[in-house]
Amino acid sequence: MIHCLVVGHAVSMHCHPSLAGRKMLLCQPLDANKAPSGAPLVAVDCFGAGLHSEVFVSTDGIGARHLVHDNKSPVRHFIQGVID
Amino acid sequence: MRICQIIGRVTLNVSDPSYRGGRWLLANPLDPGQLGGACGGMQPVTKQFTLVAYDSLGAGPGDVVGIVEGAEAMAPFDFSIPIDAITVAIFDTIHYQPVSPDAARPVHQA
Repeated sequence: MIHCLVVGHAVSMHCHPSLAGRKMLLCQPLDANKAPSGAPLVAVDCFGAGLHSEVFVSTDGIGARHLVHDNKSPVRHFIQGVID
Repeated sequence: MRICQIIGRVTLNVSDPSYRGGRWLLANPLDPGQLGGACGGMQPVTKQFTLVAYDSLGAGPGDVVGIVEGAEAMAPFDFSIPIDAITVAIFDTIHYQPVSPDAARPVHQA
């Protein structure tokens, strides 16, 4: 799991059918001192994480496929939890 | 999913038989500074490693796409195909609002 900060969202009309209607958030990975490190990732969100909230992003494809209920979905990053 | 910009196409001469009919694009990952106006037009090519990604959505040069890498890129196929990058979404708009370092982040005391 990657500790990330939500820094925006992406809108896509033309995507894989399993992503249709899913919220795609831009997540900026953070290092140990909560400083941005690396380029933002796009993660599928099902928990309603807001802008600038801290989240855990998982890179497990099997979990992502269960999340979108499609065994043929190429999605990989998804938000696993919003940190209080 | 990484945000990349399509800068060209690749045509294969000799390739794996499972690649027949496949469409290959040159995807250049965008820098965080370019994400604000990403879908406005052709962005300057960044110094990051350019990928060759399998495409099934019909993206063209100048489009901003989401690329998934790794074993998940083979998930959409019924047959075994040796690829590790695929286009998953063509983005229409990207809203990017990074927290400025001096912005006071609300600290929640438990």
